[in-house]
Amino acid sequence: MSKKVLLVDDAPILRLLLKDILEKNGYEVVAECSNGNEAVAKFKELRPDLVTLDIIMPEKTGLEALGEILKIDPNARIIMVTAIEDRESLMKALRSGANDYILKPFEEGRVISAVKGTLDE
Amino acid sequence: MAINKALKFVAQLSIDKASQALSRFIRVGAKIEMDDIYMADISEITGKLSAESDEVVGAFIDLGGDVKFKFLFFVNAQDSCLLADLILRRPVGTTTTYDQYTSSAVQEIANILSCGIASVFTSDFQLGITISPPTVIHDFVGTVFLEYFMSIAVEQNEVMMIETTFKIVQQNINCHMFIIPDSKTEKVLSYISNTL
Amino acid sequence: MNSQEIVVGIADYKVAKAPVVLSTNLGSCIAVCLYSSLHKAGSMLHIILPDSSSGINKDGIKTAKFADTGIPEMFNKLQQVCGVGINDCVAKLFGGAKILQQVSNNIGQANEIAARAVLKQLGIRVVAAKTGGEKGYRVKFDLITGKVQCQIFGEEIMEY
Repeated sequence: MSKKVLLVDDAPILRLLLKDILEKNGYEVVAECSNGNEAVAKFKELRPDLVTLDIIMPEKTGLEALGEILKIDPNARIIMVTAIEDRESLMKALRSGANDYILKPFEEGRVISAVKGTLDE
Repeated sequence: MAINKALKFVAQLSIDKASQALSRFIRVGAKIEMDDIYMADISEITGKLSAESDEVVGAFIDLGGDVKFKFLFFVNAQDSCLLADLILRRPVGTTTTYDQYTSSAVQEIANILSCGIASVFTSDFQLGITISPPTVIHDFVGTVFLEYFMSIAVEQNEVMMIETTFKIVQQNINCHMFIIPDSKTEKVLSYISNTL
Repeated sequence: MNSQEIVVGIADYKVAKAPVVLSTNLGSCIAVCLYSSLHKAGSMLHIILPDSSSGINKDGIKTAKFADTGIPEMFNKLQQVCGVGINDCVAKLFGGAKILQQVSNNIGQANEIAARAVLKQLGIRVVAAKTGGEKGYRVKFDLITGKVQCQIFGEEIMEY
């Protein structure tokens, strides 16, 4: 059975791009969210195998959502996504329990290796 | 403010960084060229720019912190469909109408370009810059310009304009990018350019 | 007869006699058009703010930015250059859209209210207006007929 991924990014085109990459490689995107609040709610409801979480988003940021998701499930697998090389936020996310990160613009090879690594595949 | 050679160099550096960031993003060569850098009266410049009736998609961003700029990127509405296809790595021509993806494409390109510009100041000159979320407008080119100019025109009667156009290789997409430093930033730019 | 087209930028006005078309693009700004059919003369002002009281900046005040200073100044110019009196003159208003949805204050609406108040004070009647909405405007004011062609983005051209 294909692994379920929850995709979180406020940019529709980047969600679509990431979705294309993931589906082409056999993963199932179970839901897409455009902010941290939706992400936490959808995580609770769907319990995906993996979450890709954009850092800069309106309403609730990826960093805030990361903390809440890990409270719901400390073993949640989460990959942070960021457009700028914002090392400070990224390091904070990794220290807080995110498994890995991918930088925008997406490189398909890097996305898949991060996903496989995070899912222990 | 005097527009000297060194200031032009700083502008060119920013534009080159933006070019590189964009080429990486869409995986197609993009060459941005500075058309001009000049001081303009707000009435004259908006009169000149709003004479066109084209339908465009534009995104503007405020860069804040140590240096403040107003940034505008816009492209013909039809060409925004081509940009969406390039980002999605689909055959060009797949997207035919303006929708949330074309709007998002313009927004992301504006993000990438402004991050490229900001990186010149953050890494080359160690200044702190914040970047606002982009505002995307699909409208007449004149209206997009006016809304971009509004907050500047409230505070200033004359502005420094850095005007660029760029082509995306193979697709013949013409894009436009404008950068307007605020009046305090003109001083910072002048200081930077004098130390070069 | 071919009319010359004069584009009016923000915070500016133009006064002219037929055959001329005055044109502009609008967002939240308001175009105030004054016309005298007797003189075949008119003017267009492109204001961006209602009130000049907070309008002094490092470059000094630019009166055509504001409804309260721009409209009287434009009328005086129309009077001086073309001999138009208050009673010869009618006004039409366009624009004032709310383009940026995330901005909480509706500056377009405030501009229209201020423009109407100033015109009323001067004794100039507003005979037509197309304002509001969320999209931009293109307006072309023909001084031969006094008619204004107004197109809202995505819609047909209408005549006022």
